[in-house]
Amino acid sequence: MIKKTDINTLKVTGDFSNDMISEFKKHYNDLKKKSVKPVIDLSEVEHAGTLAVAFLEFISRNKKIEIRTGESLRSEIDKFASESGYGNSEAKLSFLDRTVVTVSDFFKELVSFTVLSADIFYYSIGSVFNSSGRRKGSVFEQMLLMGNNAVPIVALLSFLIGLVLSLQSAAQLKQFGANIYIVDLIVIGMILEMGPILTSVIIAGRTGSAIAAEISTMKITEELDALKVMALNPLKYVVAPKMLSLTVCLPILTILSNLVGILGGFVIGILYLDLSFDMFFNRTIEVMTLYFWWQSMLKSVLFSWLIVLIGAHFGFKVKGGSEAVGKAATSSVVAAIFAIIMTDAVLSLIFYFEW
Amino acid sequence: MDNENVIEIKNLTAGFDGRTVLYDISLEVKRNEIFVILGSSGGGKTTLLKHIIGLLRPEKGSISIFGKNTLEMEVDEFESILKRIGMLFQGGALLNSMEVWENIAIPLEQHTDLENEVIHRIIRQKLSLVNLRDAYYLLPSELSGGMKKRVSLARAIVMDPEILFFDEPTAGLDPITSADLDKLILDLKKKLGITLVIVTHELESIKRIADRIIYLQKGKNIFCGTIEEAKKAGIEEIDRFFGWNKD
Ligand SMILES: Nc1ncnc2c1ncn2[C@@H]1O[C@H](COP(=O)(O)OP(=O)(O)O)[C@@H](O)[C@H]1O
Ligand SMILES: [Mg+2]
Repeated sequence: MIKKTDINTLKVTGDFSNDMISEFKKHYNDLKKKSVKPVIDLSEVEHAGTLAVAFLEFISRNKKIEIRTGESLRSEIDKFASESGYGNSEAKLSFLDRTVVTVSDFFKELVSFTVLSADIFYYSIGSVFNSSGRRKGSVFEQMLLMGNNAVPIVALLSFLIGLVLSLQSAAQLKQFGANIYIVDLIVIGMILEMGPILTSVIIAGRTGSAIAAEISTMKITEELDALKVMALNPLKYVVAPKMLSLTVCLPILTILSNLVGILGGFVIGILYLDLSFDMFFNRTIEVMTLYFWWQSMLKSVLFSWLIVLIGAHFGFKVKGGSEAVGKAATSSVVAAIFAIIMTDAVLSLIFYFEW
Repeated sequence: MDNENVIEIKNLTAGFDGRTVLYDISLEVKRNEIFVILGSSGGGKTTLLKHIIGLLRPEKGSISIFGKNTLEMEVDEFESILKRIGMLFQGGALLNSMEVWENIAIPLEQHTDLENEVIHRIIRQKLSLVNLRDAYYLLPSELSGGMKKRVSLARAIVMDPEILFFDEPTAGLDPITSADLDKLILDLKKKLGITLVIVTHELESIKRIADRIIYLQKGKNIFCGTIEEAKKAGIEEIDRFFGWNKD
């Protein structure tokens, strides 16, 4: 029973069970607001739940409140205080210290990422020439999973992007009677930028996150340790097939994305800009150079490596239980998209100004 | 030959991020014996095993397997040692994306060039050895805890290892299943002449199978020897563990 006996006093009698805490809290907050010299009288509490004891210990640290307890409740509260009061859970760091820790953590992570990447390259290249230490058929299996299954989504989204990109530009071009330049716009836009970026962002979301989730799960359930004890290298057994397969699949998907995106532009050119099939086709052949394709492929190969390396990095560094798997997957996607767009910007600048 | 030390650890000190977990451990395991690692939970038993099989590197000390210091080895040489040992992890550590037979096939596919037909026969034989004939095409998620451990055992012995490590093989199993597993372990020792290093808490199993024990208390070696010697040693913690009265 919780009762206010006068304006300053809150009295609990009988059983103070755990489910009375929230009711008690309401009275307690009320009392704190209204009274200058609050008293909590617990002398007639016969039995208190452990959660209630913990809460009482918490409020008893507020010296402004007088708490009266019987002998046994007092000793329970003291016992809880001593049993729970070891160690300081969070050491408080100053802002500067925190910044230093964050920055140095970032560099440590960068170093470990670089080391891991070097190892993965080493084993993947080795794996091209020598399939021992790799599961039979694993590269092919991965290709189906990463490449083949992504074809519909990559094609659909690329078509839509090509379509709307052309549509939005078409009105401007029409004003100047420059209809035919829609071809230049969509061909260059898709091959140099939209194709590689769009495809690798989709694959980062699909495959990058799956890589991080798979590897982190294997680490948590000691599957990676089990492989090591069987004299197998997890980088060779698990990561190399993914690396090899995505290095092949992402460029192929990018080619698909480029072509389908241009097809989107073609639809707008024919239906909205009154171009003929021949005009569009001939202009396309004129604009499309091998050099553009080369850039497009270079980008997509680099992006495929970023996706695998970042996925593997977040997978291997995981610590803790199953909730960490989700975090690893999410972080890997965010980091991969970030890295892809940064790399793309740098490459585009280099190519554009021919540095 | 029988008294040869297959494992020799000298003054091993190890820990995680500067926190020491094992203090100055020395021990020998002889060929063909069952060596049991005992100790309270968190005492460092798993950590000790992981150091022996090279998953972790110590701060100080030396570890030899088959008379060679593993800490100074090249990767290739250590892998050839690993091919002669097997390990059963606390949680089984089966690859969850692969069916039971594929899990057992991993070492065979990677380290031998046997025909698929032969590999399948070997897997069937190992599965019947651990009494799991029907589990061939199941996924690890479709197995109970005891079944996982038995599959994991089949995978660990498939390459005829000379040393087999077990991390709590019977933890979380019912008494009948764990007695069966003990029998299996003793059988293996007799049939295959394997040296076994086992972490366990089960008093009954220890008494049934242990040749020698080591007792780790908070990372320190407080006793190493046979059970009879342990009885005579009169160390309080060990007496309490075995329920031996002092009076
Ligand atoms: N990966 C790890 N990182 C940090 N500390 C660990 C790790 N693994 C084990 N420990 C610590 O090492 C100590 C011994 O653990 P462990 O060897 O698993 O004990 P046991 O197997 O005897 O129960 C424990 O205090 C545990 O917290
Ligand atoms: Mg353990």
